Amino acid sequence: MSRSRPTRAVLALCAAGTLVLAGCTAVDDPGTEAEAEAPQPSDEAEDTGSTEEPQETGAAQITIGDGVTEEPCPDAVNPDNGCIYLGVLSDLTEGPFAALAVPITDAQRAYWRQVNEDGGIAGFDVDIDTYTRDTKYQAAEHAAAYQQIEPNILAIAQSLGTVNTESVLGDMDANDIVAVPASWWSGYAFAENDMGLIMETGYSYCTEAMVGLDWFAENHGEVTSVAAVGYPGDYGGDSAAGVQLWAEANGISDVTVVPTGPNQVTGNQDAVVSAIAAANPDVVLLAVGPAETAEIVGKLAAGGFQGRFLGSLPTWNPALLQSGAAQALIGLYNHLAPTEQWDGTSEGVEAMKASLDGEEPPNAGYIIGWVMNYPMHALLEKAVENGDLTRAGLRAAIDGLEVDFQGMAEPITYGGDGKEVAVSGVIVSTPNPEAPLGVESADEFYHGATFDKVDYAQACSATS
Amino acid sequence: MTAPTTSRRLTGESRALEPRSGGGRVPRSVRRGRPRLFTRYAADQALLNSPAKRWWTLAALVLALALPFLVARDLTHLVTTAIAYAIAGIGLNLLTGYAGQISLGHPFFMALGAYTAAVVGGRPGTVTWGLELDLSLALLAAAVVPAVVGLVVAPLATRVRGLYLAVLTLGLLMLGEQLFKQWAALTGGSGVGRAGAIPVLFGSDLTRTYAVGPLLVTPETGLYLLALVLLVVLGVAARNLARSRTGRAFAAVRDRDLAAEIMGVNLLRTKTLAFVLSSAYAGVGGALLAILIGRVTPEQWNILMAINLLAIVVIGGVATITGTLIGAAFVVLMPRVLEWASEWLPFVSTGSDGLLNVFQLQSMLFGVLIVLFVILEPRGLFGLWQRVRTYFRTWPFSY
Amino acid sequence: MNVLPTAIISGLGTGAVYALIAVSFVVIFRATGVLNFAQPGLLILGTFATSVLAVDVGLPFAVAVALAVLVVALLAAGVERVAIRPMVGRGMFPTALVTVGVFIVLLILAFRLFAAKARTVADPWQLNQLCLAQGDGTCAVPVYHYTVGRVVVAAVVLVLLGFWLTRSRTGLAMRATALDQEAAMAQGIDVGRMFSLSWALGGGLAALAGVLLASTGSVVQANDALFALVALPALILGGIDSFRGAVVGGLVIGVVTAVTAAYQPVHAPWLGPNFENVVPYVVMIIVLLIRPYGLFGTREVQRV
Repeated sequence: MSRSRPTRAVLALCAAGTLVLAGCTAVDDPGTEAEAEAPQPSDEAEDTGSTEEPQETGAAQITIGDGVTEEPCPDAVNPDNGCIYLGVLSDLTEGPFAALAVPITDAQRAYWRQVNEDGGIAGFDVDIDTYTRDTKYQAAEHAAAYQQIEPNILAIAQSLGTVNTESVLGDMDANDIVAVPASWWSGYAFAENDMGLIMETGYSYCTEAMVGLDWFAENHGEVTSVAAVGYPGDYGGDSAAGVQLWAEANGISDVTVVPTGPNQVTGNQDAVVSAIAAANPDVVLLAVGPAETAEIVGKLAAGGFQGRFLGSLPTWNPALLQSGAAQALIGLYNHLAPTEQWDGTSEGVEAMKASLDGEEPPNAGYIIGWVMNYPMHALLEKAVENGDLTRAGLRAAIDGLEVDFQGMAEPITYGGDGKEVAVSGVIVSTPNPEAPLGVESADEFYHGATFDKVDYAQACSATS
Repeated sequence: MTAPTTSRRLTGESRALEPRSGGGRVPRSVRRGRPRLFTRYAADQALLNSPAKRWWTLAALVLALALPFLVARDLTHLVTTAIAYAIAGIGLNLLTGYAGQISLGHPFFMALGAYTAAVVGGRPGTVTWGLELDLSLALLAAAVVPAVVGLVVAPLATRVRGLYLAVLTLGLLMLGEQLFKQWAALTGGSGVGRAGAIPVLFGSDLTRTYAVGPLLVTPETGLYLLALVLLVVLGVAARNLARSRTGRAFAAVRDRDLAAEIMGVNLLRTKTLAFVLSSAYAGVGGALLAILIGRVTPEQWNILMAINLLAIVVIGGVATITGTLIGAAFVVLMPRVLEWASEWLPFVSTGSDGLLNVFQLQSMLFGVLIVLFVILEPRGLFGLWQRVRTYFRTWPFSY
Repeated sequence: MNVLPTAIISGLGTGAVYALIAVSFVVIFRATGVLNFAQPGLLILGTFATSVLAVDVGLPFAVAVALAVLVVALLAAGVERVAIRPMVGRGMFPTALVTVGVFIVLLILAFRLFAAKARTVADPWQLNQLCLAQGDGTCAVPVYHYTVGRVVVAAVVLVLLGFWLTRSRTGLAMRATALDQEAAMAQGIDVGRMFSLSWALGGGLAALAGVLLASTGSVVQANDALFALVALPALILGGIDSFRGAVVGGLVIGVVTAVTAAYQPVHAPWLGPNFENVVPYVVMIIVLLIRPYGLFGTREVQRV
């Protein structure tokens, strides 16, 4: 009996389990959002004495949902306002992009603090501190952190990393959470990849390669051979794909692609240096980090390389001017960016500089972070105009949203596909020890001819 | 065995203990209150050998089944992640704790399991393979394929001992990472990655919400329940293995493999079996993890994950299954607890002002806790639990 | 440019640094029986200290390096006293896990100190090159000054260490402790102090290696610390308790990595990019197949 009792118990359990499973019926997920009618508290905002012009939306009611509360934010600037919660999923400690991501996040906090001090949006303050989470640039941490903050946020103000964003995109789609990415993958311009949830800022790495090479051909003579050096994945992969597209469109067949990795993985870039020295191209497009850029440019220059270098957005750091490669960088390197740099003249740059009282940030991540807020700000205001400050309302408001970035970046109209949303203007900068953040940038956005020739109908590099 | 005739050795009341047909029985009135009185070998060897254990296990099971309906969705997700790590940790405990073979290459087998499940049960992409079969088949493949690879790797590992074995398995991990980065059809490629298996179990789509009577089974709950069932089955199997002849062979090899060999334990076969089993467990754990995370890249199966798994084994308790569960819960849930606790500290902030970033503080505290636990409690959290239990069991003589 | 000699010479340079790191592991392992996973943390803190002293404070490079090495040595001794001393007699496996915990703490500390800034160490070598053999037009075998610096500094330090261990009283005491702790105690040697001293030595060597690693003419960031783990295969293939093995292993790994980096992308691209990072482990596996205790490691004698 002792031997058959456990077996009988196990069988009984299995039978019970099967019964329960048989009683399962599938239901469509009932909406967990509690939609509440909320009177628009704009009259109270006027009473705080802000110099902003009063809201003229009359007595229209704004529907609010998950992520928006009528209670004030913790440590609120305007205690009479309600609160909109935005999430931030970024690499703030140990990952490879912490150097860039910390100033990005700081810039975002400064921007929204400014918005709150100006009275908030339609009677709501914006809080991005409470639901800021560190992902260490790992998809597992990103997914877990997303699960944690998702019930309480209206949208995501920063989502760092294409792979990380993709890992939760399905859930975001199910819950109508829109996001502004801190990554420049070409796939975000296409609804099949981003499901209409992602509001990209600036060009993609793919576009950057094309327009950067156009600029180079115009300013440094004809190009007969080109090389692309990059990290694997959406960063280097997208950039290399752009180089290939440019070469095809311009009849260049000599293209060398050199994949590499950050120095914490590869130790040094000697393999890249010897590969480029052997290939001897006219121009090298770099899609790596600042330390690797300095090493590659410095060593190639010391070895007598005659070509020049174009560096993607994340390749520059002002500290490079103190390294041994400084002279080589000043002489041979140009930086590409989708936005004006610290020495720009637009309204946006002035506002950004004012937020730091004229001090310089540690690197250009601050500029990236500042620019990223304009789409979210415009989206929130459009949603308020539509009277629907819910997640679904935000998602619907993306279609046709026009953002002008206060002149810092090229205006984008969201909601389209491919070239309708993709911008292609680039600001080219040259390293200069006298200039702020070490680079002196061109006055206006440059556009090349190749981007218009190319068939931009799908993401340049796949993410399987 | 012949039934003995009337024995004259037992007299009086003790006659009841005679092994007559039906077996010698000790009256229940004697057995009550003496949980450690075992009158049969089977009862002594049973996994739940006292009524207290049986009742508490039942309570734990009921609580575990009810958990997803009681806590928030993201906590369910986190606990499911802990369960996936626990399954992989049980595998590592079998190899390192029971059989004494230190391995830093466990994430390699987890990755193998994850990618096998992704290929068998996942969606094909532009570059990657995917057969879109049922999740049950995917999980089965995720157990078998890493086991086969473990079978291939084991003879090499049996030549080397101790720290040399640890770094050898680390080398296996690095080689595996390079292989995965190159084999884009399997993994999506470096920096790109791929999704895990599609959670369609026996035809039912686990990404939809189901209603069982009044209860709502959300996708997170469904995955949690699947992981729980797998954990219970695999955990009981491991525990059963540990008390079996194979388990004793493992322990002999761990303690003194030369002596074990002299006693007739086949070293090669035992160590190979340990590798095969641990790889199978790792594969299942990895497959579950891939489904939970949503997207896995070749870079994430790295030495940091190996260290996490070792931490689970050592902090939880070497050579105990329950200890592995506790260790996995500790490693996965502690950052959340620290996050909640760090709200009370004044000098930390979310941004870069302040003395320490709150996330840096959490990571640092995690390291400090590992150090403290290992220093203060050699048998891990399970040992701590046993101390507490012994205190109460022997009260008021608990000194 | 002549590829093979250039690669070999630059490989000797990085190999010298790996040898330093491997020796730092061996010093700690021989004296205390612990494989110290926190070495990368000490390494990057050494780089940071040098950077602060040389760039921010403005000290001459050699002085900054010496001070940084001293600071990190003290830190390592402190870590030993606090975290490792209670683990005496507890076995290698849990103690290694304690060092992992210490590594996490040190790494986060390094991240906090670097504060997302890239730094330089103001070394005197920068990207200057000297030419060993002239080719047609360009230099056939160019050698960076920092490669020469690495080899010279590592050689001098290791030779001095060897002399100190064999000739001085304290060195002799350390070797006695490494051989048999109980006998050493019976002879009147303060074994606890020897433990701290060995950790201080290991930490100092790691800090020096960190400075040398950072002198590439580029900038260094906090996560470069993780690269130090590449010294593990060098350590293992030489034998984990052998100084000679550590040096040989380091040099071998350095040269093999450099040669692979030079030739593999052209001749065997199917192995994938950055295969040179995996080659140390391949070499180590091959060596372990032939000699399971490394090239010069002591064979474990089992008694039943």
